[in-house]
This record gives sequence, structure tokens and C-alpha cells, in this order.
Amino acid sequence: MKWNYRLVMLVLLGLLILNGNVGLIAAQDALTIQADEDLQPAVAALYKAFFNAEPGFVAADGDLVATTDRASLPDDFQGVPPHFLPDAFFIAQSERASAFIDFAVSPDGQQALIDAGFLPASVTITDQAGNSVVIPQPVRRVITPYSIATYLVYGVGAADRLVAGGYLGARDPIGAARMEAIDPRFPQLSGYVMNQREINIEEIANLQPDVIFTSARSAWLDTVAELDIPIVLFQGESPELLKQSMQIAGQVFGPNAAARAAAWSAYYDRIFSQVMDVTDDLEADERPRLLMVGTEALRVISGDMYQTDIIAAAGGQSVSADLTGSWNDVNLEQVVLWNPDVIVIVPYGSVTPATLVDSPEWQVVAAVQNGRVYKMPSWVAPWDTPVPDSVLGIIWLAQTLFPDRVSLDCAAEAMTFYKTFYDYDLPSDEIAAVCGS
Amino acid sequence: MRVVTLRRLWQGADVQVSGRDVLYVVLLLLPFALIVLSLMLGLYSISVENVGRALLSSIAPAMAESVPQTELTLVLRIRLPRVLSAALIGAALASTGVAFQGIFKNPLVDSNLLGVTSGAGFGAALALLLGGTAALVQGFAFGFGLLAVSLAYVGSRLYSTAPMIVLTLMGILIGSFFGSMTSLIKYVADPLNTLPAITFWLLGGLTGVTWSSVPSLAVITLVGGAFLWLVRWRLNILSLGDAEAVTLGMNPNRLKLIIIVCATLMTAAAVAVGGVIGWIGLVIPHAGRILVGPDHKRLIPVSLALGASFLLAIDNLSRALLPTEVPLGVLTGLVGVPLLILLLRRNQTGW
Repeated sequence: MKWNYRLVMLVLLGLLILNGNVGLIAAQDALTIQADEDLQPAVAALYKAFFNAEPGFVAADGDLVATTDRASLPDDFQGVPPHFLPDAFFIAQSERASAFIDFAVSPDGQQALIDAGFLPASVTITDQAGNSVVIPQPVRRVITPYSIATYLVYGVGAADRLVAGGYLGARDPIGAARMEAIDPRFPQLSGYVMNQREINIEEIANLQPDVIFTSARSAWLDTVAELDIPIVLFQGESPELLKQSMQIAGQVFGPNAAARAAAWSAYYDRIFSQVMDVTDDLEADERPRLLMVGTEALRVISGDMYQTDIIAAAGGQSVSADLTGSWNDVNLEQVVLWNPDVIVIVPYGSVTPATLVDSPEWQVVAAVQNGRVYKMPSWVAPWDTPVPDSVLGIIWLAQTLFPDRVSLDCAAEAMTFYKTFYDYDLPSDEIAAVCGS
Repeated sequence: MRVVTLRRLWQGADVQVSGRDVLYVVLLLLPFALIVLSLMLGLYSISVENVGRALLSSIAPAMAESVPQTELTLVLRIRLPRVLSAALIGAALASTGVAFQGIFKNPLVDSNLLGVTSGAGFGAALALLLGGTAALVQGFAFGFGLLAVSLAYVGSRLYSTAPMIVLTLMGILIGSFFGSMTSLIKYVADPLNTLPAITFWLLGGLTGVTWSSVPSLAVITLVGGAFLWLVRWRLNILSLGDAEAVTLGMNPNRLKLIIIVCATLMTAAAVAVGGVIGWIGLVIPHAGRILVGPDHKRLIPVSLALGASFLLAIDNLSRALLPTEVPLGVLTGLVGVPLLILLLRRNQTGW
């Protein structure tokens, strides 16, 4: 009998403490919110879901501002403000608002807005293979066997929803260390055999993804389709297609991701037009004839690849643009026939400028004679492939081809880029060394 | 007309001796003519005169004066080592194919029977996975090719009876083991970096051949080829069977072992430079038999010459037809398989 009594007391005590604590949090963290009239119901729904209380709206000096007006952002604001609805975002006025903002852009926040009817319960997107895919919202778990798609997820700020993925450029120790600095979960996320050729379907079923991002050329599409998980196919082999890829990734993860995708597109367009301003009026004979080589000195890009487009944007012309398909193996005689002015080696692989410059056979190529053989830099994702980071590849290429005319600075732009789209502060001395400036 | 003559050639060997001798000499000279012709071919057009001047410049440097540096480099540093390598590899693969078919008394084998190519393929894949240089890849390919055959040989010695059958079986086992190991490496290889390099190497190609890979290949092929040439009449006796060979005063097992070692060295050297080039060791011996009959006294020299000519012709297609290189393993298969089917249908002679 005594035991029962003690137990009841214990439970009562526990309830008291718990209750008091909840009250304490609510009392301490109650936020004052400044919101446009038409945003107030949605903000109230979020607030109720997070604090289990009604928000106090104020006309001025709130902890938090909810608005659709970009003009209300502070002048020194960099990056993309957290969007909880399309076009509507929060501006934190005090530190206390951050937990609530994090909640608002999280899947749970999305769920609250869906329950209250402010966001749709599913989105229908057309992927880059032309398939119409219905994706229930919110997406909490995504896998990206196509390693380019992994960086799309980072770019739109949804990396916390990744559960497994392929990582391009993070196989070597340097790339892996850099990726782990960006995302501490990297070793765990990349710890699966998962790429366009191979996948373990039982493992996929185990991971329980809400959506799979991959390329249309994945070998296992039919098998994985049996799991009834929405599959979004990407194909970003041109600047326009890459922008579309980002836009699709944005749509999948909700308003905040969509806003970041739009911001990235705007940034990409701005850099593109800034470079094009310099290179657009170049005559054909002023454009350096450029050969881009891959993981072997005699493996070159084709005209179908994204690399050809960024070379053109940066003011060069790819000598191997007539080739089709993916990477092409050629012989030195063909290279001599092209006789490129500049040779650029992709960031990955073991080929270095010294490989060519020190080879007696390559001495007859103009680029080697002029000492214009370069290795493209990159941080983690290779800057020559259709990933968000490739905007930096365009900058570096333009700077390398036209050092006197292009005013963009690779290192400075890289700092901004990774801060904005990876929420990561690059070590400034290291990126300067990487950019070669 | 030619067909009729050829049919007579092998059916009436005693009557048509002189015609057959002419054919034999022509076949032996064919690779040398093709080497000269191949040097003229390429994507970059160089006049016949300049090719000649470039070649003669090593003897008389004054000849090169009017030739642009680019053309000199292309002829002497790109085409010449590649053409010579193609001829040497073709000769090595074809003649070792004949030797293996003779020793194992089986017309359907080539020098990969004991796993040398599979071992070399694994060695090269391993070196590529480790990010090795061209020299490392060649060294690994050569070493693992020899290792595979050694394993097959040691394995077969564990049994006392029917050594040739057991050796064949061990060779097949070791070959498939290294094949699986290669697949494993491809499985773990970086799909962006290492995998394309491994795949291309396994399909065979001479794109990256420079002078540095020629000396070892030349020494091994020429010494090995000369050895096979010298023992060629003994191959006739070996292909009769061990009992007959012993009756005729030979030690068949010792001779077979020496020939296997020689052929393995040659194949490993060829594969190390050119990658896995299939079909030559199988098709060329048959073509040789149709042209000069099954007598190894002529078959070995003819297969050396025909192998060199065949791979030269194939490699010319690979390097001069399209801006992109077609892997040699693809072309030898595409050309070699129809050729073999045609020859098997027409061939009425014994093996």
C-alpha cells in the first residue's frame, strides 16, 4: 500500500515539474510578432503549432517580422530570408526568434501550414525526363543516388532532409574533409553503395525516403519504381536545364527551398550576364580555342556536355564541340589537329598541367608551348559539372581567359556563394589559394 | 580466281609448291609494307615526302630541315611507337595463340587459356584504382599476368595425373577468379574518375603509347617470337601427342613448360601495353592455317606476320577513321568474329 502512495506522489510531482517547465518556456519565449494583416492567420497557425498558444501581434518593435516586402530587409542582409510561404518570409529582430524560424521552415512547420490549409498537401512537378510526379508534402527524407542532385539539395537549403546520397568530388581525403566541415553528417550520408548503376533496393526500402532524386540514366529505375516512392529525374547538361533542376528541387522541398532556388537562379543569371557583358562582343578569332580534358589527358568533353556551355559563356570556344555523347577518347594527332590555345583540366582526376607540360609528345600543341595549361579549381562539388557551384567555374574560367577584362574575383565570389547556399564560411586563405589569386 | 588458287594451294600441296612459297614470302613481307603505309595514315595529314624525311632524319638529320616540328613529332614520337607497338602486340598475340593451340591440341584456345590476360587486367585495374602512372599500370599488368599463370601452374602440380587437363582447368579457374576481382575493383571504383579509365583499359587501346613502353615490349616479343620460330617444328611433334613425342626422343612436358613460360611473357607484355585486345590469338592462327596449312614450320612465321598486319590494320581504323578513338577490343571483335565464322565455314583442312 505504501508503494502505491509513493508512486502516485511521484507521478504528481513529475506532472507538476513538467507543467511548470512548459509554462516557463511559454512565458519566456513568447514572441511579439509584426506581421502583415494577410499573413497573420498563417503565422498564427505556425505559432500555435510551436508554442501551443496564440501569438501576440504588435505594430512595431516585434521580436519577429513576417512580411512579403523585401524592402523591409536590413540593408546589409545577405542571402535568402527564411520563407514560410511563397513570397512571405521572416526577419528576426531578436535572437529569441531563431528557434521559431527554424521550426517554420522545417518539415514540421510545413506540416502545420498544410494542416491549416496555407500550403498544399502535395505538389505536382514535371521532372527533366518529362514525367509528371506527385509528391506529398512535406518531404522529410530524400535520397540522392545521382551525386549531382546531392548538391542541388544543399543548394536549396534542404540538406537536413538528406538521408543518403552520392557525393561527387568528396572521395579523396581533401574533398571528404571539406565536405565534413560543411556538413558533419557527411560520413554517415555517404556511407551507402548508391549511384546511377548500383543501388540496394532493400536498403532503399529501409531508408524510407519520401522522394528519390536521380538521373534519367540510372540503371535501376524499374526496380525501384516497385517501391512506389516518387522518383524525380534530373538532367542538367546546359545552363537552362541546370536552372530548371534547381527550380524543381526547390518545388519539392517547399517555400523556403523554392525561394533559395530562385535566389540561386538570380545569382547565376547575374554572374552570367556580368561575364557575358565582357565576352559577348568578342569576335570568333578573339575567343581562345579551348580544350577541356578529363581524367585522362586524352579524354575530352563533347559538345553535348555542360562544360561546353560554360566555356562559351566565359568567352572561349571548345575545340571538341563537334563530338557527341559523354567523354570522348581521342588521340594526340586529333589534339594537334585542333591545336588549342588553352587547355583546361577538370578539377578531379590525376591529370595535372605538369602531365602535359613535361611530356615531350605534347610540346607541339600551342597551349603547351604558350604555357596555358590550367587545372580548374573546385572546393567539393567539381565546378565544371552541372551543380550549383559551377557558377564559380564560369567565374574562374572567365578570369583565366581574360584576366584584364573580367573584374569578378573567384575567391570573393566563392566566399559569398558558400555562405549563401551552403550556409558555410569558407576559410578565406584556403579558398584564395584554391582560386589561385 | 584467288579463291580457286587458294583451294588448290592447300589441297594439292605437293603440286603447287612454288605458288605456295610465293604466298608465304608475300605474307612474311606484309607487315613491313603495312608499317610503312601506317606511318602515312593519320588524322593530321602529312605528305608522304615529309613522312619519309622525318623517318630518315634519325640517320641523316639534314633531311628533317624542311619538315615542320609538329610533323616531325607526330611521325617520330606518336605514329612510329604506336605503329611498332601495334605490330609487336599483334605478332605476340597471334603466335602465342598458335603455340597454345598446338600444345593443348585445341583449336579453340588462345594464350589467355591459363589466365594471363585476366590476371593482367586485374593488375591494371588495381594500379588504376591506386591512381597509378602509366608505368605502374604496365608493371602491375605484367606482374599479375605472370602471377595468374604461375598460380594455375602451381595449382595443377598439386595433382599427379593428367597435368594438361588439370592445368587447363586451373587456368580457367584462376582466370575467372581474377575476372571477378576485376569486377570487384570496378564495383568499388569512383564512377567519375577511375571507372572510365579501367573500362577503357579493359577494352584495349594504343592511344597512350609512347616510346617509353616500346623497348620492353620489343625485347620480349622479338626474343619470344624468335624462340617460337626456332622450336616451331617441335610444335608439330607436340601436337601429335605426348606418347609420340616421347617415342621420338623428346621431353614433351619440359618443352611445353618452356613454351608456356615464353608465350605467357609475350602475352603479358602485349596486354600490359595494349590492354585486353581479344580475338587476335584465336582468329589469326585459323587464318594462317587456311593460307599455309597446319604445319607449324610455316604457321608460326605466318601467324607472327598476319597478327602484326591484322592489328596494324585495325589500329589504323581506330586512330585515323574518326576523331574519337574506338577501343581496339571492340574493333577486333567486330572484324574478327565475322572473319572467324567465314573461315570456319570454308576451312576443310585439318588442325
